[in-house]
Parts: sequence; structure tokens; C-alpha cells
Amino acid sequence: MSVNNRDPLVVGGVIGDVLERFTRSIDLRVTYGQREVTNGLDIRPSQIINKPRVEIGGEDLRNFYTLVMVDPDVPSPSNPHLREYLHWLVTDIPATTGTNFGNEIVSYESPRPTSGIHRLVLVLFRQLGRQTVYEPGWRPQFNTREFAALYNLGLPVAAVYFNCQRDNGCGGRRT
Amino acid sequence: MAIPMAMATPTDSVTRVWSMSSLRSALPSAVTYRLPSSTSRRLPVSTPSPLLLPSFSGLSPVNPLISTGLPDWQSFESGFKIIDGGGRVYAMRHGRRVPKLNRPPDQRKALLRGLTTQLLKHGRIKTTRARASAMRKFVDKMITLAKDGSLHKRRQALGYIYEKQIVHALFAEVPDRYGERNGGYTRIIRTLPRRGDNAPMAYIELV
Repeated sequence: MSVNNRDPLVVGGVIGDVLERFTRSIDLRVTYGQREVTNGLDIRPSQIINKPRVEIGGEDLRNFYTLVMVDPDVPSPSNPHLREYLHWLVTDIPATTGTNFGNEIVSYESPRPTSGIHRLVLVLFRQLGRQTVYEPGWRPQFNTREFAALYNLGLPVAAVYFNCQRDNGCGGRRT
Repeated sequence: MAIPMAMATPTDSVTRVWSMSSLRSALPSAVTYRLPSSTSRRLPVSTPSPLLLPSFSGLSPVNPLISTGLPDWQSFESGFKIIDGGGRVYAMRHGRRVPKLNRPPDQRKALLRGLTTQLLKHGRIKTTRARASAMRKFVDKMITLAKDGSLHKRRQALGYIYEKQIVHALFAEVPDRYGERNGGYTRIIRTLPRRGDNAPMAYIELV
């Protein structure tokens, strides 16, 4: 399937800010509780306190995948100088299974956006072999492209993003 | 009755009385069966977070917030123009220069000032589509004032934006951020309608 300019990842700016253009080859299903995440969905922080259920497709159980969850709009979409913030990193996920079977090297931290509407992107990469990916030293200032280049992960095989803003509204007008 | 999955082609599900293929052939949408991100955007209302219509439920699009007992939502590829009660919808825009936003002129100006202030403060806001497309002009105007950078322009911006910190921050960062870009400093992404009044919503963000 060709990715044209109307693809939600392009329209939402995910391809460009976080990722390069890629073609999907693996199914990726992310579910928070009962809600399945589709591109651009609006989710509140109270619903994403716990990690989601992630199921991936593919055929061969010998292929391993890495899931990365980042927030490119930290601390605020108008001023994202801490781009990106790493929320979750799971490696060695066998195909057709989920993140429960993988190695969670950076534990899930629930997003708490303070200002503005943040995009949260979940990206799936294919690993060359087992245990080839190591954790980065810190969470902010994470760069997905450099991470993929460092561990030879190549282009992503799947990605999805959703929007999240703080529960109590924008916080009012403050000087 | 089996709930058909979007991953299979529609003719696979023989348990359904009405098949999607007839609807698909009638509608001008190119359909992909991968979830969750592929979608067609040729129809006037299509959203970045599509939903599946697994069974025929009339010509109205399925409201995602109404529980129909389906455990899984799959990709929905075609949407219908949502026409809300009240506004007359014509095909043409002849002679319409200014979006009135259903408000008298003073309120309209105040609304747009508030919206541009909030957009410059937060970087991305969610509002109705009419307001988002009306505000583009004023956001671009503010960024153009900041690109100029002189004292007179700064005072003009201070007269429009409600919070002066935002003006000073804008004038500080715009040359780096938008130095090469000529116009088009915002992006509008249409999204699902609002629950309370089914108003069509959109995200507007600074590019």
C-alpha cells in the first residue's frame, strides 16, 4: 500500500518530526483498556496510567521487534526543546505476540502533559537479532532516528500516534 | 452473528446479509484493510482516527461514543458529510469574504484574539473547524509581525495578543523557527465531531 500525503501519520506531522516515510509491513494493535488506539485519537492521561496491551502481527516467531513510545512535544508543542521524551521501550518482542513477551528495558511511564496537546507515538522496529538493543541513558532528548541508526533497526515497520492533553483543561490564564 | 474484521476482504464474511462491496463500489474511496493508520481522505469528512462500520446501520456514520457492544473497532474508510441543524449549506462560497462565526463584530474579534493567544501559547489546540480556519489569517499575521521584529511591530502585536509574555517569546523564537518558511505557519487536522453538539472539530497547530 503506498503512503500518500493523506496518510494520518503525514498529516499529523509524525512523519517528519519523529520518523521517516516508511511502508507498513506489520500489524500493530495498541489497546488501552477497552479503547483501541487509532491515529489521532484523543485520550486523557487518566486512561493511560497503565501500560497498554500491544499485539503485533507478522508470521515468523523468530523475528524480533522493538517498540518505542515517545512524546515529541515535550514540554509544550509550541516549544518542544526537550523533544522527544521516551516513555517506553520494549525489545525482543517475537512476531505475532505482544509486549508481555518482550524485554521491557525502559519501563512504562504514564504521560502527564502539562501544557498543550501532545502527540504520543508508538513505533515498531524490526530487530536483526536477539538482544541487540540496549537502553539509552536518559529519557528526554531522545532521538528516534538516531536510535534506529545506532542499533541498525532501519525504517519502522509500523507506527501509530494519539493525542493527549491534561485532564483539567488548559490551566487557565496565568501571567 | 460474527463480527467481521477489517483485515479480511468484505466478501469473506458470508454471514452478513448486506455486504460492504456494494457500498464501496458506489463510494469514491480507496480502501485499505490494514489497521489502524491507513485511511482514505477523498471524502469531505474523513478523520485521522477512522472507525469501522461493521454492519449496515443506515446512512448516518456510527458515533464512536455510542456503545454498540462491539469489542473491537477497526478501520473505517468512508465518512459522510455531517450536516448539523441550523446552518444552510451551499456548494458555493460566492461573495463570502469574512467568516462571521455567529457573533457580533466585537465578540468575533475577541474570540479570534483569544484563540490566537492560546495557539501561540500551547502550540496545538482543538477547536471547531470554522474557528480553526478563521484563525489562520490572524496567526499568520502575528508571526509575520514577529518576523519583522521592530519596535512598532512589537507594539502592534502587544495590542492584539492578550498576554505579553507570549509576544516576547514569539519575537524571540520566530526568526529561528520560521526564518525560511514563507507563509503557511499553521496546519489544520480535522478530527471527530464533539460529543455534546456534534460540531465538527479540528486541531490547529503551528507548523
